[in-house]
Amino acid sequence: MTMRDVLSGLKETNARYSMFHSMTDDVDPGDAKFLFSAKDNLTSKDMETCAGSKILIGYRPAFDAAAISKMRDAGGKLIGKCNMDEFGFGTFSYNSGLEIPRNPYDLERACGGSSGGSACAAAVFEGHVSLGVSTGGSICCPASFCGVYGIAPTYGRVSRYGLIDYGNSLDKIGIISADAGDLRRYIRVIAGKDPRDPTSCVQPELRDEGRKMRSVAVPKEGIEGLSKEVEAAFKESLESLKGMGLDVEYVEMPSLKYAMPAYYVLATSEASTNLARYVGMRYGQQEGDHSLKFDDYFSSFRSEYFGDEAKRRILLGTYTRMAGFRDRYYAKALKVRQVVIRDYKRVLADHDAVLAPTMPFTAPRFDDISKMSALDSYKADYLTVPANIAGTPHMSAPCGYDSNGMPIGMQFVADHWNEEVLFDIAERWQRSFEARRPEVKA
Amino acid sequence: MDRATVERVARAAHIKLTEDELRRYSDDLNDILTYFELLDEAPECDASGVNPVEVADVLRDDEPHMDIDPDLLLRDMDTYERYIRGPRLS
Repeated sequence: MTMRDVLSGLKETNARYSMFHSMTDDVDPGDAKFLFSAKDNLTSKDMETCAGSKILIGYRPAFDAAAISKMRDAGGKLIGKCNMDEFGFGTFSYNSGLEIPRNPYDLERACGGSSGGSACAAAVFEGHVSLGVSTGGSICCPASFCGVYGIAPTYGRVSRYGLIDYGNSLDKIGIISADAGDLRRYIRVIAGKDPRDPTSCVQPELRDEGRKMRSVAVPKEGIEGLSKEVEAAFKESLESLKGMGLDVEYVEMPSLKYAMPAYYVLATSEASTNLARYVGMRYGQQEGDHSLKFDDYFSSFRSEYFGDEAKRRILLGTYTRMAGFRDRYYAKALKVRQVVIRDYKRVLADHDAVLAPTMPFTAPRFDDISKMSALDSYKADYLTVPANIAGTPHMSAPCGYDSNGMPIGMQFVADHWNEEVLFDIAERWQRSFEARRPEVKA
Repeated sequence: MDRATVERVARAAHIKLTEDELRRYSDDLNDILTYFELLDEAPECDASGVNPVEVADVLRDDEPHMDIDPDLLLRDMDTYERYIRGPRLS
């Protein structure tokens, strides 16, 4: 399929899969070298940016996010802004104030979240690369559910300039593609120091010295609570990895069980402050009653346009930061993050990666998601959250299919700044694992 | 978290809740905070820090410059004589 074919059928394809909230009208790729899409929490000059929220409808940024700008400079043409959970608040891209992307393997099932539209686009369009953003697993989860590769690099590897923040100490911009080679290719494009994001300025250079992944550690805690089909596919993949020459060792990582509550404390604390800026002034929805008093004016927008999960996380984060509770929750969660990092460092001193399934189950049906409690949904992230709270680079690779034909993924976690071994294993795994492609219809 | 606390937190967060929302969020937040009790048994650690990697002092020089044309920024804002419109203060 040529770039022109993709562009000419873009709207029809999107009508079926709902991967984009906004998209280009161009049908001519011009001198573009490749097409790409981006999660809709990355600002873009030529397309509305809403981050899945009604409160930002009408926001047309005056600048490109650094990652989008770099992709354009490398010859990329931005074709669409990808649907997502509102501000990244979800596991299934179901908590959206706008459109909900549909899984290309079964339209009644979720793409995963929160970069669901990005993973959907990567699965549907041949040769397509998409920018995703991960806070607690939002690249690897949808990559797993949609049967593609996804990498969230080390925290600070890619500038967050132009990213609509969810959790500043957790957000990471990465790559999703059906081609494992794109992970190395495009992380190279978007990585680098940027004075507009000081956290990006501490990074060492991205290594490319041919370092191979030779051993993986499988934490006992990472293989509990799996569906039978995920467990079987993962075990089969371990045998394949052994056949490729990798050493596989089972280890214990007792800190992992504390990562989940620590993550939700940190993420919601940071989110509740970041979302304080959305008050019906400056961007997005601004048609308010100016005769209202200050507080009432702000509250009117926030009450009407924030979705259910956004309100829940704002309340939770506001509570855990309140005087009297801060030490018990926020300060403790910061310490737990360090405990988790030390646990990873301990295991990664002897191994190149920590490996477990990416998600404990395959993409659920929308009607099942609608019955899940908030806490049930949070708990589904237990395999992806630890690497995210630790800021360690992690990559999901497709590793099997369940009896309904839904993809299964496995997630490799490497040490800080060591993306190179993830590129290596992704490329080698792609040569040995026969990935399927969804049957794509417009 | 009781209903009065949820109301107090919502006021601090500038969100007005309906009766239904108050009831639902009270229940949900209680479930979630009960789950958070797991943190009480987590091991202590002498290290802290707000970022997962060490971020040294990397502040840029404080030199004024114009990144974005102000007219572009104002393009979609609700303005009056190039001032951003907002609610009255009292």
